[in-house]
Amino acid sequence: MAGHTESGAYDKSTNDLQTTNAENLQSNMKVIYYSRTFLSIIAGVTAGIFGFTSVTGFIFYFLIMTITSIGLLSKTKFTVYSYFESWNQLVLDGFLGGLMSFVLFWTFAYDIVHIF
Amino acid sequence: MAEDLVLDTAIRDWVLIPLSVVMVLIGILRHFVSKLMRSSQVPDPKIVKEGQVIVRARNLRAGANFIPPKAFRARRVYFSNEENGLLFVPKGQAQNAQAQMFSDPNMAMDMMKKNLSMIIPQTLTFAWVNFFFSGFVAAKIPFPLTQRFRSMLQNGIDLSTVDVSYVSSRSWYFLNLFGLRGLFSLILGEENATDDTQRMMQMSGFGFDPSKILCL
Repeated sequence: MAGHTESGAYDKSTNDLQTTNAENLQSNMKVIYYSRTFLSIIAGVTAGIFGFTSVTGFIFYFLIMTITSIGLLSKTKFTVYSYFESWNQLVLDGFLGGLMSFVLFWTFAYDIVHIF
Repeated sequence: MAEDLVLDTAIRDWVLIPLSVVMVLIGILRHFVSKLMRSSQVPDPKIVKEGQVIVRARNLRAGANFIPPKAFRARRVYFSNEENGLLFVPKGQAQNAQAQMFSDPNMAMDMMKKNLSMIIPQTLTFAWVNFFFSGFVAAKIPFPLTQRFRSMLQNGIDLSTVDVSYVSSRSWYFLNLFGLRGLFSLILGEENATDDTQRMMQMSGFGFDPSKILCL
């Protein structure tokens, strides 16, 4: 809900009427979703080619997702609340959806490179 | 964890890669078919008008702190007084969205088309995989799993001595089915068929909630 509670987060009220624009917020979320999906696919292929197995692979995924979060954070110039409603959206969104793609491409690349 | 199985490279060339490629291609085909079948409907002006009124009311609520109290009250009366307010609906006339949806045959037809375009290719692919590739060990996942996952990952092979991390071709199909959703949303853009099904599920289950679509 775009309420007026968020206006407290701003020191100077440079914004006009609405504190959050729903369409822009959705577009931001979409950007997060896309970048996470893309990176999880790339990470899966990379992990498969390097031949990571079991826990190492999942650690690799967590590492990539952390790096993604930091990258997105620097993209917002470290002011999360002017782009998103909360930190959770930036850090956790699309995490589990990306895991599925990651496992698929990890398996695929690992099999082609190492098993056969 | 017995000895490692040696998988034939012919399995890679003729099962693993073709299966994945076919899954991707069928996903793309389904996207374009459902795009073709989608009928463009002219929106009802009355509904559009109501939607715009609601957007205006929401803007008013969000910006309530930025305008003088008197101005806010005047606007609120304009929206919600009981005689001729824009948002006031007399009791008994309010119809819920679901009843409205089912009274409109076009809507049901659309949902049917979407459903069919989703189910038919899936059934066909599954039958195809079953017919040609049943009984292969097609892949090996690079992490160990417990015995519980055997029925999930070795669907179609009844060998209890094979290590659980080996995946049968039928289960590779299922893995593809779920894992490729992300890839489709990347290569097909935002409005692909899987998004539509999610939206449909939400519309049939609860009320239409645009903020929930993103959460999924």
